Amino acid sequence: MSPNPGLLKLDLAIRGVSLDQSLRNRRDLFHEPSVRGPIARCLELVLPGEVLVSAPADEAFTADSPYRLTQDAKGFYLETDGERSEVGIVAPPSYYRKKTRAGTPMWRVGSSYGPYIAINPASRCAFSARGSHCRFCDVSNQGVDRTEPISVEDVVETVRAAFADGAIEFVYLHIGYIEGDDSGVQFIEPYVRAIKRHFDTLVAVQLQPPREDRWIDHLYAIGVDAVSYSIQIHDEHLLAEMCAGRVEQVGRQRYYDALAHAASIFPNGTVWSDLIIGLEPAESTQSGIDTLVAMGVLPVLSVFRPLSDIDLRDHPMPSIEDVAPVFTHLFKRVLEAGINMNWVRDLSFAVTPFEARFFADSDTPIPSGLGPLYRSKLGNMAVRNLSKLRRRLRVRQVSDSYGSSNL
Amino acid sequence: MSQPNNFVVDTRPLWILVLQRMKQPVLLMIGVGLYVAVRTLLVATDLSPEGHRALAVFALCVFYWVFDVLPLMITSILAIILLPLTGVLPAKEAYALFGSEAVFFILGAFILAAAMMKSGLSGRLALVILSRFGHDPVALLRGIFILNATMSFFMSEHAVAAMTFPILVEITAALHLPASRANYGRSLFLAMAWGSTIGGVATLLGGARAPLALGILREVTGESYSFAEWAALNIPLTLSLSVAAWFILRTFFPIGTPDVSKAEQAVDEKLMKIGRMTLQERIIAVVMLGTIATWIFFGEHFGLANIALAAVVLLFALGAVEWRDVEGYVNWGLILMYGGAISLGSALHKSGAAEWLADHTISSWASGPVSVVLMITTAAVMLTEMMSNSAAVAILMPLSIAVAAQFDLDPKMMAPLVAVPAGLSFILPIGTPANAMAYSSGYLRVRDLILPGLLLHGIALVIFNCLVWFYWPLFGFKY
Ligand code: SF4
Repeated sequence: MSPNPGLLKLDLAIRGVSLDQSLRNRRDLFHEPSVRGPIARCLELVLPGEVLVSAPADEAFTADSPYRLTQDAKGFYLETDGERSEVGIVAPPSYYRKKTRAGTPMWRVGSSYGPYIAINPASRCAFSARGSHCRFCDVSNQGVDRTEPISVEDVVETVRAAFADGAIEFVYLHIGYIEGDDSGVQFIEPYVRAIKRHFDTLVAVQLQPPREDRWIDHLYAIGVDAVSYSIQIHDEHLLAEMCAGRVEQVGRQRYYDALAHAASIFPNGTVWSDLIIGLEPAESTQSGIDTLVAMGVLPVLSVFRPLSDIDLRDHPMPSIEDVAPVFTHLFKRVLEAGINMNWVRDLSFAVTPFEARFFADSDTPIPSGLGPLYRSKLGNMAVRNLSKLRRRLRVRQVSDSYGSSNL
Repeated sequence: MSQPNNFVVDTRPLWILVLQRMKQPVLLMIGVGLYVAVRTLLVATDLSPEGHRALAVFALCVFYWVFDVLPLMITSILAIILLPLTGVLPAKEAYALFGSEAVFFILGAFILAAAMMKSGLSGRLALVILSRFGHDPVALLRGIFILNATMSFFMSEHAVAAMTFPILVEITAALHLPASRANYGRSLFLAMAWGSTIGGVATLLGGARAPLALGILREVTGESYSFAEWAALNIPLTLSLSVAAWFILRTFFPIGTPDVSKAEQAVDEKLMKIGRMTLQERIIAVVMLGTIATWIFFGEHFGLANIALAAVVLLFALGAVEWRDVEGYVNWGLILMYGGAISLGSALHKSGAAEWLADHTISSWASGPVSVVLMITTAAVMLTEMMSNSAAVAILMPLSIAVAAQFDLDPKMMAPLVAVPAGLSFILPIGTPANAMAYSSGYLRVRDLILPGLLLHGIALVIFNCLVWFYWPLFGFKY
């Protein structure tokens, strides 16, 4: 077994984990992939170094995994090549078994991943409705059976239950593509406002770029603390081939322009873009990292996994040798650019620059950093309040400007 | 759902924003410090203790009004609270000044204007005038100027600009005038702003500052003006300033020959849409004409406020308006502001503080009546560019009445001497809501208006001072 938690996370994310016979029927350990796309039926593991990983298990491609999860009276262990190391398992929170007052099972509303709850309240991604969905995506398929969006009340109740479980620290709302100039900002606004009204928490939002920058300002003004417009693939031609909707409906350049504008509005380190590693050549992903970093945007890398219900189910998986240098590059570039890595961290299904520190060259100095502070209760509270203060300072309502000349 | 245009994200460095946000608490504290300083540090043996305290309250209010530390009306409420608390006036007297006739006149004028706006009568009037004038670009521009100026004789200039603004937005959209470099667009909005400002000084209805000045005058001296007297005194200024403003507008913003047939079409379409005059509009028009005639011919006999309120009662009795129609149009804040300002003016006079202040400022700087008039009018024009014109009147009126007595000037002349120049704001958006609206069109930038605005101010001061010395004597003012 590799002692490097970063490498281990990556390897587990790619190859998954096979289960010991005694664990095969332990449904209580599994997190149902009810919401987010490129993940399979997963176990949420806590590796040494408090690194979270969403490790596929029980999928066809995990049968050959060199990793095996076992359990004894003391805990869970990950075994490979005769070595064994203790890991934690984040059991599915109890709110998954509850229902909202309207009768919606809460597991259908939100899923916990590490410190946050991910919620996709929209019905169906408009790309998939037009037959131009991203080929690596299974979220677009999942929306088919939901004709109505999830109600704001259901979302609030589920988030309340998740907080009551002690399962989460912040809320992550994501929608696919919603047609219109705002690309879904107005759709997501009541959810953001309701969450901000009921809970003292940070809200991150992932959606597609709006046509005009003023909607990005709007998103910040209504209380969104972190935002992502994920380009996913940097290579122009491959993006057009893999994500026809993104290119045709939004336009590749618009992703970068919107990200650059968002980075000038939101706090340092709170604007991120996912890049999928394993679909395009490593050099292309690195070039994508450079482009994003240059505009102050945090690249987050998720490793491609050929899930059984996506178009690319037969696409080969990347090897660890291919992807490790990309993470080294990621950490180095983000560090050089001085982008704060502490906001977007601890994602179980992707590798953040914060976690990419495990891939750092020996000549790259690793700052002792604020990681532990951000993770602490006190640090979390400080971050929330600073975020609120910053917004109060920066956002003005236009109607206020008329005040002085009213008489 | 809030609109995206409703938010602005300020991306300047955070330390600048922090400093900016600290401005209000710091200014609040400075105001309190000023109050304490006047009470404790100012040695004024020739001032009564009440006068001393009134002066401290006045200093605090002036500071808050000038720097917009609190909304104007809240500062006025503060004045009303402080006057009895500091023993300058008994509470009963301070609050009773809210019952000033001027306050009720304003209330009546607001309700009448609201009825005109809500019924669509004022909008119809505007469209009819525009459809008569708007055949070529210059005629359209002139039409807008004259429309705004004349309507401001009968309604507050703020209401007139608010009514014309959406029509102009439609006209500029129909003409496809680019916001960045369209002199015609600039001229149209400027004709709206300057037209209503210049027309607004002609009568007691054009702006609320004239009734405020009258309110303070009446509380302090017992004197007042009739509707006709005020109009006769000021219409020559409005006429001559209109001509000057027109030439400045045409000189600084040459418009070429844009095709305005689309604008004409837009106006005609709007007229078609509103159809024939309704019974409600006819009733309001008749009542309004009757009210103006009564103000002119019987104003002194019945009292301006009485006539205004009687007209309001009549409108309701005839079923031409409903309370909910007018509720939103009445500027209740302004009424609060006036109550406080009149109380403060009266307190300054009764306590001797106004006289003391006049002694130590204008009276000691001025060499004679000519310089007094020049100083007061210049101060009024400068103050009104930087703050609400009501605040400028509230600050200058008590002081000016006291100065008048010291220079043997008729205190009655101080009301138009302060209120008229205080209504002439031609440059900054903060000066008057009409300017703020013109800027919000996107066609104008402050730098476009600095030179033409200053020139117009200069001309206005010269004309006004000439009228004071050569025309006002016809009304019995002796110097
Ligand atoms: S945007 Fe692409 S990845 Fe996201 S839900 Fe739609 S199809 Fe899937």
